Amino acid sequence: MSAGAKKRIMREYGECMADTPPGMKINFDERNMTKWEVLLDGPDQSPYAGGHFKLEINFPNEYPFKPPVVSFKTKIYHPNVSNDDKGSMCLGLLRADEWKPPNKVVAVLRLIQTLMIEPNPDDAIEPSIANEYKENRKEFEKNVKDWVKRYAK
Amino acid sequence: MASLNPDDERAEELNTLQSIYPELAIEHTNPFTAHIDLLVAPTIPLPGIFEPEHVVSRLAYLPAIHLDIALPAEYPANAPPLVNVSTTPSWLPSATADSLAKEAHSLWEEYGGAQMLFAYISYLQEAAETAFGLSEITLPSGLQAELESYSKRMKRELFDKETFDCGVCLEPKKGTVCYRMERCNHVFCVACLQDYYNNCIQEGDVNNVKCMSTECGETRGSKKNARLISPKELLQIPLALETVERYAKIKRKKKIEADPHIIYCPRSWCQGAMRTDKYPKITNVREMDESDSETDEPVKSATDEPLQADGPEKRRVGTKGMDRLALCEDCNLAFCTVCLASWHGDFVSCQPRDTSQLTEEDQASLNYIMRNTSPCPTCSVPCQKSYGCNHMTCFQCKTHFCYLCGAWLNPDNPYEHFNNKKNKACFQRLMDMAEGDMAEGNVQFGGARGAEQMAAFWEEEAMRIQMELDAQHS
Repeated sequence: MSAGAKKRIMREYGECMADTPPGMKINFDERNMTKWEVLLDGPDQSPYAGGHFKLEINFPNEYPFKPPVVSFKTKIYHPNVSNDDKGSMCLGLLRADEWKPPNKVVAVLRLIQTLMIEPNPDDAIEPSIANEYKENRKEFEKNVKDWVKRYAK
Repeated sequence: MASLNPDDERAEELNTLQSIYPELAIEHTNPFTAHIDLLVAPTIPLPGIFEPEHVVSRLAYLPAIHLDIALPAEYPANAPPLVNVSTTPSWLPSATADSLAKEAHSLWEEYGGAQMLFAYISYLQEAAETAFGLSEITLPSGLQAELESYSKRMKRELFDKETFDCGVCLEPKKGTVCYRMERCNHVFCVACLQDYYNNCIQEGDVNNVKCMSTECGETRGSKKNARLISPKELLQIPLALETVERYAKIKRKKKIEADPHIIYCPRSWCQGAMRTDKYPKITNVREMDESDSETDEPVKSATDEPLQADGPEKRRVGTKGMDRLALCEDCNLAFCTVCLASWHGDFVSCQPRDTSQLTEEDQASLNYIMRNTSPCPTCSVPCQKSYGCNHMTCFQCKTHFCYLCGAWLNPDNPYEHFNNKKNKACFQRLMDMAEGDMAEGNVQFGGARGAEQMAAFWEEEAMRIQMELDAQHS
């Protein structure tokens, strides 16, 4: 990774520290600054409320020309997060063809929070969960809460 | 006679003015005269029309207006200031200059004999923002170069003095190491621009060579609005010439590949695109200033003809006569776009054909090529010797090679190959079959494929003899 990229990550970390979005905690290891660990509280106005989620943000070598890679380390029942041990996300900003270098991690974190309040079933990685979200909201919310209880307490 | 009393109201006014405008110069010889240059940067660039060619050029900065002020002894109470407005070179119409000067008089009257120079200068500065109410200026073409270069220089100077926050490295950078995008005016530092575009072009990802700003064409659903950056602008950033050439080449290739109307040369060793005005060959990237949209959009041609639905290659059907003729842009072969044979004249009717299916005629010519030519070791173009020595130069890629064995030859010393005993097959055979393969109507092929055939023939012969012997023994 280039010196410029490292500098930029440092700067972004500084900005995040100065203005951390509510309900979020960032663990940063200076020896390995390309991997951030984020602890995220389920937003109050969502069925994820009360859950604590661990996320990992990995910066590629080409950062900021390529988007960071986000994965949920805590299992989460969500149409836009893959339901496997990777917990990966790939939509909006996080897509290589939509990412623009001036985008920042903070925008990514805000996107994740927004998606927890309002999932995007039209760009889903888990079609069955997306379907349930669209057709049977009650069942969806019940499942979300079940998973929060099981994995995210 | 002007009094030199420093308490003079006039001296006081000019001194005060000088502390507001440090660039105001008071004459040493006469402390009641001064001059100042005022920047002319209209908020909307002023169109300059240069006659007699009628070239229109939009000028963002114009040479400063030069204001001369002389304060008579009766100023301010009983006389207006004497002012003169001029420009060098003289671009300001004299009528405008006069009316600006007259304004000093009316302001003085308005102020009822009070000090009014500050108000006047402010008035001029404000008027400069609207280009003094001018909607265009007509000037002799002799001034064009000077005014354009002035405008450019001022723009650069003011830009260099500014500081920008580069949105990529997130650091404040001086204007001198930044670049302002031509179409959208977004500013990034040159190092980040170079990193990004070099990376895109290196990876062949030419559709991302557009402004990096999130504001540029990224509104959902209409992201196609973002324009690709022109090769000319990339050179200004600056990117290396060879990188920009690669960019232009890939972009052109992608466009050609996306265009279903383009037919490729049927020669399997060439496969160049057919010649067309739509995608001119790249000659000089320095002059390519078009910033087109993404190349993956299908190209809509004006005469959208029905295309053959599926097939290995989409091709025009129903095309007749001379419309079928196409020329390969690489090897210049004239061919028919329908039957993909070499051009057969406009009266012959023909059927669509896949490149993989060969007509008898093509098969025959392919067989001939396989038997009677030597491939160039670099580009594989088939070569046949009509006359001369066996040191060949490929007509397409200029590679030097040996006609007998097909070996690549060192262009600095190609004859060494024929003088070296180690090369048994070619030693002392430079002039073998110098009269060419078709000498006196006898096809006597002396090229590399001839040698292969000879080897194959003897192999078969040996096999046959062996089998005969085996048969006798049993």
